Amino acid sequence: MKNTKVKVTNLKKNFGSNHVLKGIDFEVAQNEVVVLIGPSGSGKSTLLRCLNRLEDPTSGSVVIDGNDISDSKTNIDQARENIGMVFQHFNLFNNLTVGQNVELAPVELGKLSKSEAVTMAKKLLDTVGLDDKYDAMPQSLSGGQKQRVAIARALAMNPDIMLFDEPTSALDPEMVGDVLEVMKDLAKKGMTMVVVTHEMGFAKEVADRVVFMADGKVMEEGKPEEVFGNPQNERTKTFLQKVINV
Amino acid sequence: MKKIIALMSCVFGLFVFVNIYHEPQVNAAEKTYTIGTDVTFPPFVYANSDNKYVGIDMDLIRAIAKKEGFKAEIKPLGFNAAVQSLSSGQIDGVIAGMTITDERRQKFDFSTPYYKSGIVMAVAPKGDIKGLKDLKGKRVAVKTGTAGATYANSIKDRYGFKTVTFDDSDNVYNDVKNGNSAACFDDSAVLNYGVKTGLGLKIVTKPTDIGSYGFAVEKGKNKELMSKFNSGLKKLKANGEYAKIIEKYTGESATAAQKKNSTQANAEGHTFFGLIKQNRDSIIDGIFETIKLTVVSIICATIFGVLIGLLGVLPSKLARGTSTTIIYIFRGLPLLVLALFIYNGVPSLTGSKVPAFVAGIITLTLNEGAYTAAFVKGGIQAVDTGQMEAARSLGLPFGKSMRKVILPQGIKIMIPSFINQFIITLKDTSILSIIGILELTQTGKIIIARNLEGFKIWTIIALIYLIIITVLTLLSKWVERRIND
Repeated sequence: MKNTKVKVTNLKKNFGSNHVLKGIDFEVAQNEVVVLIGPSGSGKSTLLRCLNRLEDPTSGSVVIDGNDISDSKTNIDQARENIGMVFQHFNLFNNLTVGQNVELAPVELGKLSKSEAVTMAKKLLDTVGLDDKYDAMPQSLSGGQKQRVAIARALAMNPDIMLFDEPTSALDPEMVGDVLEVMKDLAKKGMTMVVVTHEMGFAKEVADRVVFMADGKVMEEGKPEEVFGNPQNERTKTFLQKVINV
Repeated sequence: MKKIIALMSCVFGLFVFVNIYHEPQVNAAEKTYTIGTDVTFPPFVYANSDNKYVGIDMDLIRAIAKKEGFKAEIKPLGFNAAVQSLSSGQIDGVIAGMTITDERRQKFDFSTPYYKSGIVMAVAPKGDIKGLKDLKGKRVAVKTGTAGATYANSIKDRYGFKTVTFDDSDNVYNDVKNGNSAACFDDSAVLNYGVKTGLGLKIVTKPTDIGSYGFAVEKGKNKELMSKFNSGLKKLKANGEYAKIIEKYTGESATAAQKKNSTQANAEGHTFFGLIKQNRDSIIDGIFETIKLTVVSIICATIFGVLIGLLGVLPSKLARGTSTTIIYIFRGLPLLVLALFIYNGVPSLTGSKVPAFVAGIITLTLNEGAYTAAFVKGGIQAVDTGQMEAARSLGLPFGKSMRKVILPQGIKIMIPSFINQFIITLKDTSILSIIGILELTQTGKIIIARNLEGFKIWTIIALIYLIIITVLTLLSKWVERRIND
């Protein structure tokens, strides 16, 4: 049995009277790539955002590396240093250059000196294919370039788990490939990843496990070939038919 | 950011220096009393062409102060403001041709009377109003809080006229001269003097016997000052100095000279250039005071506003509630009410004086600060929430995320509002003329009280404001460019 990296127990999240997560039990092992799929409003993104407490769970627990993220006594800033996150709308810091975006957190949190951070930022930008954009402002980049910078920025803190919240949904189709390439490389290097996406191709190719969610619950999970090839749950079947036939 | 802070501290440093430099030397041996008076009430009090306050009241109080060995700091607040400041303890005494009445005795202690007066009615020389009976259905001008106003109100039903109230005597007289009002009621000594020196009105009634003028202090307080005034007055009457002062201002030679003087001054001062030349010193003082008020208020209001604005975006509910409440209160109060409340209201409750300049700064800081806080809060909230989430997801604490990511973007959004607020602050300093601060607007009022050149003086004052605003705008735009680079 592999080491458990993330353990979510009976997680519930309400927004007022809207019950978005209705008791989720969910685990991620070390070096595992888990892809969350499901229709809009099924709670995938909310689950992901509970993993680094961008959303406060209503009840239940989220434990990562033995730290109870959902406990208000936990130093959440310290915990987040090890949890990288990539957003649908990139959220690059508009007031900083590409290089500064990558360097900000390690320097401000005392992980690296300014000069170490510069070297690291250039190396990371090189791995995502954007070493020539070091001095550019985010506004001058295409969507795909922005998302690759966002991945580099998250990697700069040297996290041991990465959360991706629909990283390609806001991109033009021709940009999607570049971003997915970077994510595949990351997976190959053994990064633990939780990915919310509608890219079924990516899920089939890269995921160790696929989790299908609907109505705030986990409906079905398993290896990609099981879930895609032989779905057991009716909801999964309908969903996959719609998505794959499009 | 650092450049702005450096620039602001330079301006502030300069201001502090100038202020210290201007600090008057106080002789510690003599006790100083603050005496409030009117702006224009000739021959008792008015500003001469050197902008020095002269008149029977001024000469009397100065002579008494000299005899009795105290220092009198004269504050020309306007009659109404002077009386209110006295009842709230902001000043020690009032000498402003104030008639001793039973109503006033409830709140003030009066000296032995120093001048006997009555109320007369004055009209335009060419009109057809010849007496009280002709006033039926007409409008009559009076000055706020004066015995003339009380008298007019007591007989208005009997004679069927309406009263209209002004804060300054010259507005009262002008209203009659330009025909808006049919007549005015004022103290006989004042109107007599005015008629003799070319005011351009005609007296049509005999003086009513309403009593005499007295020097006033707050009831039961400043007994020492009161006894000094009475003993000084007695001495001046005994040695003939009192008679000399009265003669100086009401004797035939004096009024004739004054009439000639004002005709001459009017001839010279008919041009804009002449008016500026004549009043150069007081206008420059007014500009200086306005700039001083503006600079200090802008600095204080910005600091206050930014703090309250930031409080409004903290994760704590208590902090946000405090911010919202402060903004709600001080943005909701009219500036005029706030100024009067701080200057007159608070001291009458706590018993401690607030200097007018400080009261003015507090007023502007609270009011302009509330507006600043509102747009600081708005500017921060206008930054996409994803920016904060991204910063926090990297492990940056709230404060660091704010400083490094949110504020730099928010400030860019806020800059136009800041420039706008600076200009509004400059304009709002004019409202502080109500608490007697001698800034540009109050200076204008006083000059007009003397020469009645309303149109020309207000044009000059308006142009000066526009020039200062232009300079302020250019300066702000320059800072804006610096920040955006």
